[in-house]
Amino acid sequence: MNVPVSNMTRISGNGVGNALELRGVGKSFGALAALADINMVVKPGERRAVLGSNGAGKTTLFNCITGDFLATAGTIRFFGEDISAFPAYERIRRGLRRTYQISLLFTALSVLDNVYLACNGVSRGRFSFRRPQRNDAVTESAETLVNMVHLDSVRNTLVSDLSYGQQRQLEIAMALSGAPRFILFDEPAAGLSPAERRELIDILTNLPGHVGYIIIEHDMDVALRVSDSVTMMHNGRIFKEGKPAEIEDDPEVQALYLGGENHG
Amino acid sequence: MERFSQRHPVWTAIIAVAAAFALWLIFAVWPDWLIDLVGRKKIFLNALFNGVTLGALYFLVASGFTLIFGLMRNVNLAHGSLYLFGGYVGYEVATLTGQWLLAFPAAFFFTAILGTLMQTLVFQRMEGEELRQTLVTIGISIVFADLLLWIWGGDFYNIGLPGWLSGPMDTFFITSISRRTGEFIFLKYPMVRIVILAASIVVGVGMWLLLNRTRVGMIIRAGVDDRDMLASTGVRIQLVFVGVFAFGAGLAGVAGVVGGSFQSLAPGEDIRFLLASLVVVIVGGMGSIPGAALGALIIGTAEQFGSVYFPTYAVVLTFVIMVVVLAFRPQGLMGRA
Amino acid sequence: MASIDTHADGLTSQSWVERIPAHYYFIAIALISMPVFAGDFILFQIFGWTFILGVISLSLMFLAGYGGMVSLAQMTIAGLAGYMVAIFGNSAIDTISQGWPWYVAIPLALLIAVLFGTIVGWLAVRTDGIYTIMITLAIASAFFYFTRQNYVIFNGYSGFNGVLPPQLFGIDWRHPVAFYYLTLFWAVAAYCSVVYISRAPFGLALQGVRDNARRMAALGYNVTAHRVAAYAFAALLAGIGGILLTWQSGQISPGTAGIGPAIDILVIAVIGGLRHPVGPFIGAFIYVLLKTFAVDVLLSLGLAGERFQLLIGLGFLIIVFWSPDGLLGLWERFRSSRSRDPLTGRNGGGREL
Repeated sequence: MNVPVSNMTRISGNGVGNALELRGVGKSFGALAALADINMVVKPGERRAVLGSNGAGKTTLFNCITGDFLATAGTIRFFGEDISAFPAYERIRRGLRRTYQISLLFTALSVLDNVYLACNGVSRGRFSFRRPQRNDAVTESAETLVNMVHLDSVRNTLVSDLSYGQQRQLEIAMALSGAPRFILFDEPAAGLSPAERRELIDILTNLPGHVGYIIIEHDMDVALRVSDSVTMMHNGRIFKEGKPAEIEDDPEVQALYLGGENHG
Repeated sequence: MERFSQRHPVWTAIIAVAAAFALWLIFAVWPDWLIDLVGRKKIFLNALFNGVTLGALYFLVASGFTLIFGLMRNVNLAHGSLYLFGGYVGYEVATLTGQWLLAFPAAFFFTAILGTLMQTLVFQRMEGEELRQTLVTIGISIVFADLLLWIWGGDFYNIGLPGWLSGPMDTFFITSISRRTGEFIFLKYPMVRIVILAASIVVGVGMWLLLNRTRVGMIIRAGVDDRDMLASTGVRIQLVFVGVFAFGAGLAGVAGVVGGSFQSLAPGEDIRFLLASLVVVIVGGMGSIPGAALGALIIGTAEQFGSVYFPTYAVVLTFVIMVVVLAFRPQGLMGRA
Repeated sequence: MASIDTHADGLTSQSWVERIPAHYYFIAIALISMPVFAGDFILFQIFGWTFILGVISLSLMFLAGYGGMVSLAQMTIAGLAGYMVAIFGNSAIDTISQGWPWYVAIPLALLIAVLFGTIVGWLAVRTDGIYTIMITLAIASAFFYFTRQNYVIFNGYSGFNGVLPPQLFGIDWRHPVAFYYLTLFWAVAAYCSVVYISRAPFGLALQGVRDNARRMAALGYNVTAHRVAAYAFAALLAGIGGILLTWQSGQISPGTAGIGPAIDILVIAVIGGLRHPVGPFIGAFIYVLLKTFAVDVLLSLGLAGERFQLLIGLGFLIIVFWSPDGLLGLWERFRSSRSRDPLTGRNGGGREL
């Protein structure tokens, strides 16, 4: 898989122990606590699934990690560096990426322009007043990504004219822009057809080994196949952590989460 | 209040000291060194009182503006036109009937009608399109300005005051001690301004009670907080919108009569009061009635003190206040983040 | 104002030079040869003024159309640049004017205008959306009242007169033909730079910020910095327009950058259309025609000549009501309705907006 790895060596922070380290992270909206006392350690290259019912705080957790909004308590370390107070763009520039559950795409722009914006946001030329040359690196990496998620046939189509599945693919492509070190996938498989699902699993399992991720996924099959560890969340707290097999067999987890679902 | 003092103990202390000093300035007999420093106390008290009454007038205009914005997200840049229109209507009614007091209900009624028309004929058709609504209000203000100029011309109008209101009134504020007799000299202040100040406070308190103690007020406050919720509770939201727009417009009309009574009415006053409303709500916080009161008080007194103590830069003072608020608290002093 | 410049060809095809439509060449020839068949009044008063107002409203169009930020302070920035040229350069008020050479005065004036525009932008982008209009309107009026009261720097109510362009290359740049070409040059330069930047990374990012600021932040963009930078660039355009405006009338006073003119710039941009950089010039042309000839038309209709404002206001209202994208939007709608396939209802030819 040819994910562009241009400036992979630029690793900031001191000590590259863990890709992501959350200590006592909490988020309250007024009196309502959406997240409380989240402690989580993800090693570089580790692939983690986060499970939990609706309202368990999974997307809120993502929002706090990427800086879409700031956590109200605790510290977040990204490859050793404390990013708790950083604005979103500073975190992204350090190699963090995410997708959104509800597609947040630029519907008035073409597919290629969307990916171009994503690639350019983490390149030095994001402020350039000069138009890119014919073979400039950012445009090329954007084209590579568009091909990778099989959107080359619609590369010049406006995003508003894409099918739902194609928009999800585009979200993935944008999350892979630049040199990602860690990616947060927010329900990437939701609403996809079985064929599209297989394609997604393909993309995820073929990511370069050093790229870790957290994936929120309701479909246990997908979640367990693409992850090496699982975190269960409930009511804004971490409820259980372990290997996929342990989690699957845990009676408490089954009672809480799997019990209601038709799993087999 | 308690929460504020707990969270910002230093600010609370500073505000308390400043308030104590201000009270001392107002009530004490000034020592000679202070008079040498800033001039006579009478000038200070007059500036303060003029500022407060000007603030009262600003509050009347701005509260309607901020209420309309808070509920409908409509930046009504024709608000100044409503003010001027109300003033002219009040002038006509007062001259026709000879009754100054009749000017107020008449101005309220006719500007409220105008506001109702604007909301039902124009803004209802473009709900949710903030920018387009604002552009329309600019267009309306241009058209109104010219129509008003066409009808009333470019002259200055002054709404005549009834006898019982003209002339000064004795207050209990000491300006100085007479050197000859050793008696206290008390400040004399125009009766009309004191009545207007009292009336504005009554209007402000009335609005606060209406918003906080009645069902309609609850609906409006809920709408300011969360418009979707209002629609889903089955309230006839359009009716509430029209009502609030009419009320806000009517207040602007009443303010026009007030302004025409202790200042004057002329083309250009519409822009002046629109700008005053803008600055007041930027400083006080959009959509907040207490914010409008605080902002009006600050801007009114700043304008008057500015024009007395450093006349060339009076306007800049208002502007500096606005910039400082924007820089440190963009949502306004009483606005929510 | 959902989309601008959504050419399907995207960024990749750079051969746009070859694909300049034929009507561009036609317009270019018409504009260049204008002095052959147009009189001095038309050149100086109609076209010169159109280009100047067009450049100033183009700066507003850039902010509003690409950045989603409607600033009413653009005329203020233009006025400030005009004032700075009068203060640093030459004017009839020689007690204040420094009389520095043009190559110092003009860059300095533009620099100050850009600095001021950056500060305005920094203040305005601290709040979102519709607040921008209010804040910039308040700033515009503060500038107006300040210049009217300040005699030390801005010479108060009367301002500066006798502010003339330099006699560069031995040409009197205020001569109608020379002034026509001067303003034409800057109008074209401003237009081309906006078109160019709109497809450069910065312009594309700005449009992204307009459509979805949160997503842009999650892609690594500093949204605030982009917005402020847009204000800075727009201030450069406005500053150029302001200097030309000062040279055209030979004077600058508080009224030049008052609240009325600030609103007029918005009216011009909206009437022309905020979706494409040519809109402001169309709007400016109509505005200038109305301002110049409306009085005569109104008088001939038996109305008082002062009803000009009423005419402008009503025209503006009609446009905002029926075509939020201005005359350009009307034109596009007309074209797409003509090319609509009667069976499918879809657009057959032409660019779909």
